[in-house]
Amino acid sequence: MIRKPLLAACLIGALALTTACSSSDSSGGGESTLTYLTFETPSLTSTFWNDSIASAQQQAPGVKINRITSPNTDRDAYAKQLQASGQFPDLLQSITPANFVGAGLLQPYDQTWVNANFLLPEGNALKGKVYIPPTNSQVIPQVFYNKELFTRAGVQPPKTWAEFLAVCDKLKAAGVNPIELGGADPFAAGMPLVGIISADVLGKNPNWLQDRYAGKVKFTDDNVVTAVDKYRTLVGNGYFDKGALGVKYADSITRFTGGKSAMYPMGSWFLGSVPKETADNFGVFPWPTDDGSLVIPFTVGGSMAISAKSRDIPGATKFAQAWSLDPKNLKALIEGDGAFPMLKDKTLDDYGVTVTQVFKDSYRYVTDENTKVSSISWATNDDALPPGVNNDFYAASQALFTSSDVKGELTKLDKAWDTATK
Amino acid sequence: MTRTSRARRRGGVRRENRGLFAIAAVAFGLYVCFLVLPLLLSLRSSFTNENPLRATSSFVGLDNYREAVGDTQLRASLVFTLILAVGVTVAANAVGVLFAMMLNRTTLSYRVMRTVAFLPQVLSGVIVGFVWQTILTQDGLLNHVLQRLGLIDEPFAWLGSPNAALFSIGVVVAWILTGFTTVVYLAALQNIPLELHDMAALDGVNRRQRFTRVIWPMIAPGTTISVTISLITVLKLYDVIAVLTGGGPANSTQSTALYIVQLAFTSDRFGYASSVAMVLLLLSAVIALSVTNVLRRREVNL
Repeated sequence: MIRKPLLAACLIGALALTTACSSSDSSGGGESTLTYLTFETPSLTSTFWNDSIASAQQQAPGVKINRITSPNTDRDAYAKQLQASGQFPDLLQSITPANFVGAGLLQPYDQTWVNANFLLPEGNALKGKVYIPPTNSQVIPQVFYNKELFTRAGVQPPKTWAEFLAVCDKLKAAGVNPIELGGADPFAAGMPLVGIISADVLGKNPNWLQDRYAGKVKFTDDNVVTAVDKYRTLVGNGYFDKGALGVKYADSITRFTGGKSAMYPMGSWFLGSVPKETADNFGVFPWPTDDGSLVIPFTVGGSMAISAKSRDIPGATKFAQAWSLDPKNLKALIEGDGAFPMLKDKTLDDYGVTVTQVFKDSYRYVTDENTKVSSISWATNDDALPPGVNNDFYAASQALFTSSDVKGELTKLDKAWDTATK
Repeated sequence: MTRTSRARRRGGVRRENRGLFAIAAVAFGLYVCFLVLPLLLSLRSSFTNENPLRATSSFVGLDNYREAVGDTQLRASLVFTLILAVGVTVAANAVGVLFAMMLNRTTLSYRVMRTVAFLPQVLSGVIVGFVWQTILTQDGLLNHVLQRLGLIDEPFAWLGSPNAALFSIGVVVAWILTGFTTVVYLAALQNIPLELHDMAALDGVNRRQRFTRVIWPMIAPGTTISVTISLITVLKLYDVIAVLTGGGPANSTQSTALYIVQLAFTSDRFGYASSVAMVLLLLSAVIALSVTNVLRRREVNL
């Protein structure tokens, strides 16, 4: 007798679960429930997301948001897993649209709205369509430096590659580890290579990535090999900690801010981790080029993509637009994540932010006239690497830390690219 | 004709056993749903160029398997997995036997120590990975201790070079598995009749002889189970490596299971990932069956 009610209860439970799992359900009161994929970092906390969602919901009445949090910062991988299991979210924060547009999963924003609100409307457009509002930008990488350690070694921020090497030499001679590298995390291990290739290769041919797609250039070309050889020079000369590939990204931040290394090539989001009390001790300069010309590896993004499969695209759009233009969100992103705002007709003061001097110095590279190129492996526009190739790019960065076979690693990259675009 | 046999003829099964059949049916259903079906779907997918981010996929015959034969990264991951499997199996079983012999007493303190020895086995691989990461990282506990003791001058990159990372992962995985092997060998040891020990004592054998002539042969069934399960565990290892090194540096600690996940979710190649999964499944089956076969024969010969 007991078995039947138990079975019935199980069935009801299973049915309830199935119903609860189906996304974007419209309930009776005209309110739609949307799933929103977010991720958390030390600066983008759960509170930030909840507050920003609540704020945007006020501008988009009738939209209920169910937040999903990616288990790690690789939200692209998580979004793919959700897609594979039939649970692609209605809204996706800071993903790489190129990974999803091919399958028709994303809904482009209305170009008139984009043009009306952003400084660089085409900043992360894919084939002319905008899938993520260009709310903010990052420079990836910049070189942050410790002023006190520079003074101790008697050096100034370098402008050219030769000066950079001389600075490294002097720092090493003064008993200071010249460059910090969180090499245990592939993306962090890739920072020097992103800087070198963006500055030396893309700086001379900003169209290089498009040419690579067209098969006109290759990673094994002499100019790329020469550039990457520079990374081997840095490794060979012992300018990184010998055990750098065992240093986690999070530890690399505390090591650098704690004075264990003099320089730290990292994305401008590091500005959110600069300790307020010692902020004046940190300065910044762009990745150095051979002739000292300013090349800024740049990427634009920052907001959310909308699923083309959502049952309530108008509601999702309304919410996404409200979130993207909310100055309060920008304030949190500027202060906590070092984001450079890209909203039209607004200055830093309009956001009511308190930022450090090193932030202002960094931001100047965005607002000033200079050569801005796509930051290789970070761009989310037409210059994004083919799906999956980022991984190979970072693996090459780690491999080149211990192997001098530059040509071999670049050959692997070419092969990975060709496989991914087949 | 008794009532029971009549009931059996009428309903096929005893009334009180019907519940058990229902449970068996549910178990069978789950088995089919979560093992057989995914396996068959994966097999089908391995003959296609399925990509979750492309609208269509098509049948490509044996192309994926042909690619797998020439895939240097797959080969590297298989070599890494096999080296790790052999090393960890030997280490975990050797330490397991040693621990089992040391803990084969029934007093309270030994029972507490047994629980402690088994603890790593019940922790999730992800948690173990995070704990060991804080120990092994550049500024971690191990380097601090070694520097304090004056054994090393500068921090050693336990996870920062291919060989050191392989060794470190091996130690961590062996540490986890030792809980299991210890318990298996303890059970095997307790199955040895006391008379055998007494007779050995009467014959005046020394400790080494008692181990090689009495204990080692008598725990042979335990060895078969323990070695086989250890091998299978390492052959499909994913979680600990994913947390400890993520397959790095430069893919040097990429187990085949990790490579499959990377192919599927980073490179979006579901079809090819499925074919690699099939290769790993086949390889694991062949290794497990061969090893079990050899060890079972040894049990009989002993």
